[in-house]
Amino acid sequence: MRQHSLPRSGLGTLGHACVRSATSWWGIIHFGAVALVLALSPSTYDRGNRAAITRNIYASTWQVLFWFTVLCALISLVLIRIVVVTASSYGLSQYALEMVVRVLVLELIPLGAALFVVLRSGMLTNTGSTASPLHIEHVPRMIAIAFSVATLAAVSSVVALVLAYLVVYGLSPWGLAEYTHMVGRVFDPVVTVTFVLKTVWFSLAVAVIPLVSTLQTQHETARESNTVPQGTVRLFLVLVLIEGVSLAAKYI
Amino acid sequence: MQPEFQSRSVPPPPNLEFKVALLLVLMVVLVFGSLAYVMYARGVFESTQRVVLVADDSEGVIVGMDLTFSGFPIGRVQRVELADDGKARIVIEVTREDAKWLRTSSVFTMERSVVGGTHLRAFTGALTDPPLPDGAVRTVLSGDATAEISQMVNTVRTLVENLQNMTKPDSSLNLSLDNLQTVTQNLKGPYGALGVVLGSEANAKKVITTLDQSKAAMIQVNAILGDVRTSLKSVDAVLAEAQAVGANARVATTDLGALREQVEMNLRKVEHLVDEINRKWPLARDTELKLP
Repeated sequence: MRQHSLPRSGLGTLGHACVRSATSWWGIIHFGAVALVLALSPSTYDRGNRAAITRNIYASTWQVLFWFTVLCALISLVLIRIVVVTASSYGLSQYALEMVVRVLVLELIPLGAALFVVLRSGMLTNTGSTASPLHIEHVPRMIAIAFSVATLAAVSSVVALVLAYLVVYGLSPWGLAEYTHMVGRVFDPVVTVTFVLKTVWFSLAVAVIPLVSTLQTQHETARESNTVPQGTVRLFLVLVLIEGVSLAAKYI
Repeated sequence: MQPEFQSRSVPPPPNLEFKVALLLVLMVVLVFGSLAYVMYARGVFESTQRVVLVADDSEGVIVGMDLTFSGFPIGRVQRVELADDGKARIVIEVTREDAKWLRTSSVFTMERSVVGGTHLRAFTGALTDPPLPDGAVRTVLSGDATAEISQMVNTVRTLVENLQNMTKPDSSLNLSLDNLQTVTQNLKGPYGALGVVLGSEANAKKVITTLDQSKAAMIQVNAILGDVRTSLKSVDAVLAEAQAVGANARVATTDLGALREQVEMNLRKVEHLVDEINRKWPLARDTELKLP
C-alpha cells in the first residue's frame, strides 16, 4: 500500500505527460477531420442545422464585421503611412507599396483576423453545452467560426489594398496600372496559393482547437482546472506553426 | 460577452437569413473578384511574345521581376535556365501591346545596384527599325555597381600606396621640399636669386665683378661709337659731292650724244662734198671697167 502512495518518478511523469499530450493532439486531429467531413457533407445542411449555422454566422461575422473592418482599416492606415513615409525618406519609395502588401495583407491581417475570432468566440465554448451531438451543436459553430476568419481576413485585406493605393496615389486613377502591376508581381502563384492555404488553415485551427480542448478539459479532473488553458496554448502554437510554414514556403 | 450563437432560446434577429446571405454573397464576390484581379494583374488575359536574354551571370535575376522600358514595366521574367554553353538564359514574356517598343536594334542591360535588386532594362534608339521577332535571342549587357566599387577600391588602394610613398621621410617629395627650403633660405641671403642660380656666393661675386667691368667697357664703346658717328657724317658729305659729280657726268654724256650726231652729220656732208669734187674734178679717175 505504501508503494502505491509514493510519487511517480520524473521519467514516468514525463512519459505520462507525453502520452497525454499525444492523445490530446490526436483527439484534436480526429475531431477536426470528423468535423470537416461533416461540414462538407450535404446532410449537415438540413433545415435545423441551416438555421443554427445562420445564427452562428450572424453572431460570429455580421455583428463584428463592421467594427473589425474599421479597426483594421485604422491600424492599416497608420502602418501604411509609417512604411511609405519611412521608405520615401530613405529614397526607397518604389519598395514601400510592395512591402505594405507583403507585410500587411499577406501576414498581419489574416493573423489578426484569426486572433480576433479566437478572442471573441474561443472563450464562448467554455460556457456552452457539450452534451449535444456533434452535428447539432458543434459543427454549425465551427463552420461559422471558420467562415468568420475567412470573411474578416478577405474584407480587411481588400480594404487595406484600397487604403494603400489611396495613401500613395490619392484619388488619381493614373496610378492604377502601376499598382495593379505591383499587386501582380507580389501575388505570384506560390504566394497566392500559400496565402489561401494559410487562411484556410487559420480558419480550421480557430474553429477546431479551442472547442476540442474545452471538451477534453471537461473530462479532466478538477485538479487541473487552475492551469493555463490548454486550448489557448495549443491554438497559438498551431497559428505560429502555420505562419512559419507559410513564410518558409514563400521566402525560402 | 454573451454567447448569443450558442443558445437557441434567444429570438433570432430580424432579417437574419438575408444578412447571412448577404455575407455569403460578399464572400463569394470577394474571393472570385480577388482571383480575377490577381489573374488580370499577372497578365493571364494578355497575349505575349517571348524574348530570351543571354547573360554571363544570372545572379539577382528572379522569376517575376520586370523588364522595363523608359521606366515602365513591359515584361516579366518567366524562367531562368542554364544553357549548354554555360551561359544563363533569361526567358521574358513581353505583352504584345508593349512589344512595339522593342526593335531589332534594341539593347538590353542588366544593372545591379548596391541598394535594391537587379534591374533589366531595354533601350531602343530607332523606333523605325523592324520590330523584334517572337523568340528573339539577345545578349544582355551587364552593369554591376558592386564591381565598380571593387574596381574603385583597388584604384583608391593604389592611390593611398602612392600617397604613402610620397609622404615617406626619404621620399622624393620630402627631399624636394627640403631642397626648396634651402633655396628659399639662399634667396634670403646677400646675393639672393643670383646666388641660388649660380650655386655659390663666390660665383655670384664673380658675376657682379664682371658686370661692373662690362659697364666700364660699355662706356668706352659708347665713346668710340660717338667718333664713328662723326666719321660717318663726313663720309655722308663726300658721298653727296660724289652724287653731284655723277649727275653732272650724266648731263655731259647726254650732250656728247648730240655732239656726236652733229659731227657725224658734218662728216657725211664733207664726204658728200668730196664725192662731188671728185666727180667734177677733171683729173678724176676713170672708174668704168672695159671688157676686153
